[in-house]
Amino acid sequence: MDLGVPMASPDVPDLGEYRERAGDWLRDNLPSRKANSPVRAGHDLSPDQLASDRAQQKRLYDAGYAGIAVPVEYGGQGLTAAHEKAWQREASSYALPMPGGIAFGVTIGIVLPTVLAYASEDQKRSWVPKMLSAEEIWVQLLSEPGAGSDLAAVLTRATQDGEDWVLNGTKVWSSGAMSADYGVCLARTNWDVPKHRGLTWFKVPLHDDRVTVRPIREVNGGSEFCEEFLDDVVVGADMMIGEVDGGWPIANAMLGFERANIGNAAGQPLGGRKHRALPSDLMSAAEIAGATSDPLARQAIARIHAEDTVLGLLARRIGAAVMTGQMDAGAVSYLKLGQGLLQPDRACAAMEIAARGAIAWRPDAPGEELATNYLNGRIMAIAGGSNQIQRNIISERVLGLPREPSEDRGKSFADVLRDARNWGQ
Amino acid sequence: MDLDLTDDQRLFLDTTVRFIEGELPVASTRDLHSDPRGYSEGWLRKSAELGWYAMLAPEAYGGGSLSDNGLVDAAIVAETLGRFVQPGPFTPINVVVDALVGFGSDEQRIRLLPALAGGETVVTWAPLDGSAQWDLGASLRIEERAGRYHLTGERGVVQDAQTAELILVCANQNGRLRQFLVPTKSAGVEVHPLTCLDLTRRAGLVTFDDVVVDADAIVTTDDNEAALNRQLQVALALTVAETVGALDAMVSMTVRYAKDRIAFGRPIGSFQALKHILADVALYLEASKAASVALTRAVAERADDVAEITAIVASYVGDHATEIAQQCLQIHGGIGCTWEHDLHLLMRRTRANSSLYGTPAWHRERICVLHGLGGTDGLA
Repeated sequence: MDLGVPMASPDVPDLGEYRERAGDWLRDNLPSRKANSPVRAGHDLSPDQLASDRAQQKRLYDAGYAGIAVPVEYGGQGLTAAHEKAWQREASSYALPMPGGIAFGVTIGIVLPTVLAYASEDQKRSWVPKMLSAEEIWVQLLSEPGAGSDLAAVLTRATQDGEDWVLNGTKVWSSGAMSADYGVCLARTNWDVPKHRGLTWFKVPLHDDRVTVRPIREVNGGSEFCEEFLDDVVVGADMMIGEVDGGWPIANAMLGFERANIGNAAGQPLGGRKHRALPSDLMSAAEIAGATSDPLARQAIARIHAEDTVLGLLARRIGAAVMTGQMDAGAVSYLKLGQGLLQPDRACAAMEIAARGAIAWRPDAPGEELATNYLNGRIMAIAGGSNQIQRNIISERVLGLPREPSEDRGKSFADVLRDARNWGQ
Repeated sequence: MDLDLTDDQRLFLDTTVRFIEGELPVASTRDLHSDPRGYSEGWLRKSAELGWYAMLAPEAYGGGSLSDNGLVDAAIVAETLGRFVQPGPFTPINVVVDALVGFGSDEQRIRLLPALAGGETVVTWAPLDGSAQWDLGASLRIEERAGRYHLTGERGVVQDAQTAELILVCANQNGRLRQFLVPTKSAGVEVHPLTCLDLTRRAGLVTFDDVVVDADAIVTTDDNEAALNRQLQVALALTVAETVGALDAMVSMTVRYAKDRIAFGRPIGSFQALKHILADVALYLEASKAASVALTRAVAERADDVAEITAIVASYVGDHATEIAQQCLQIHGGIGCTWEHDLHLLMRRTRANSSLYGTPAWHRERICVLHGLGGTDGLA
């Protein structure tokens, strides 16, 4: 949320009173947060829980603490980024409502800034207040079974029918879609131009009869992601975001918001203590194995701790440099790549340290978490743009290296599909 | 690489670069490879005019810095020294200046700080034993006899011992750490020059055979170990900044080469196999810059977490400097293996820095000890 949200006033305000008022409201209205409590995934949520989380977010919105730096005409408070930061500091020890779990994070952190940057005035006035108050929870309908890293190769088709558009296709890896109301959907509107130039964005109602949302069971047994089947879904022209065939720059901006959110999760604030806590997963691995005095385990714990801390320092550096224009926005990919390298490394290190303790454990031992991390630890290296995609962005946009020649540049997408089928013949 | 430099600091950086390009560009440092002293006295005096050895001392003792944060200013110089693989005792002198300001006697400050600031005297710092281990002075024994101090033992990898007039040594008296400023001309001091990986650096093994000094050589405080840790922090802040400068030069050189070199009909930097390596390298470099800035500021402010951040940054940058250097060489291919290419000069400097004041593994163990992991507590 730090990037791209327009600020209403550049003045440096006096925040003391603001912070005090926010603190009072938080104390009166929200429970305090349990240490390290994870964000609930959509599939864990009962309809009752979702409804009560929405109601709580609505109260927070009505009190003026949602969209603090979002302009007033779009339902925000029109205050500065400094107010937003002050609120976050005050709120960090409270359990903020997350209606729909990760889906609400996507709504506020990714979809909302994209809508602010690219939607029409009418759309912003109508949609953004509903996002802030959790009346509408939005997710992204991006990847497809045949389009992941090569996102611009999506096959979902939008065809014009009078004033309306008709959408058909399959989307996948949509975080939290099971508890969302709408999806922003990237669809192909022109097959006779190169792939990046025939894409358009639509707002799609997920509760529509012609949309099927199916949770995907993951290796950890949970279901954060969904797949969606769109069968002749009809949306009006007022549901189109941006121009016809002008979707690709919007997709890039949206992915940038997503990477910034991921990258900013790094490191821990120090808060006046003598040192940060050592990584809890590796510590519990060492305790399971009785290895806290083992030199190899100690090296691994300290190494991951150093990597994690330095990535936090990097996030602060890049965040400031991108915001002040000292670095290209592509530099955000450093943070995503950093996490994409660290998280699998960390999960593997924990397995190595825990040894037998993470392949077979008693019900009361913490083996499960380590084993799951091991299986799921590459998520950060794949989701939101794989490590390889981040490396392309860094090397081309930040370092200025030339692009690798590709087979699909300058060709209509229909020809790309035909030539790929005949590859090597 | 600190993105928050003031206009004055940016100007200072430009002046530093211009001075080096005029006096001792990388090509000219090659002439010094066979010089036993490693640098010229004239050059040292000129560098002193830019304030290189005055930044950590107060004005009352001939010191002074551009901003109110002398260590940030010194890190700007250190980074530039690394970028241009400059010789000379910049880090050891500044470590000793900081130590004298912190806990030297007034007589020592008056006698030494103005002379150091002017480049008239060279001091160095000897925290390591003969095998370059951090030994809290264990391998240099002190005996007190009739009010005088007799030193016997050795100090290893003492930077610029060949040209220093004084050495700040760690030694031990009945197992207690003490620090002394010993003149290298004293009877019984012998400097044995070492051959260095870094061709622009000089270092020696210094042996002490019943070297006698008076009480005015003692540099002491209530907590000598804390003082020594502070010296290590200052040394690492400057050394890491220097490494980051050298890495930045190395990576720029490699990116440029990847754009210019043609193979298979296209610039080699267009191959994903190489551009992905460069992306990783650029990530490690950018993270090392962030780490270096954080370390300098923590040491300057004597932050609560300065011991931990020192160990974290020294281990991170130490490890990744080696990885960056190895990959830059790989991308250069055969040309990078030649004497004429500057890459090896930078590789020598960064690799030496990664081991000089504690290896990455040593710093990682310090992180564990600092956290009391495995029952131990406190900093060894």
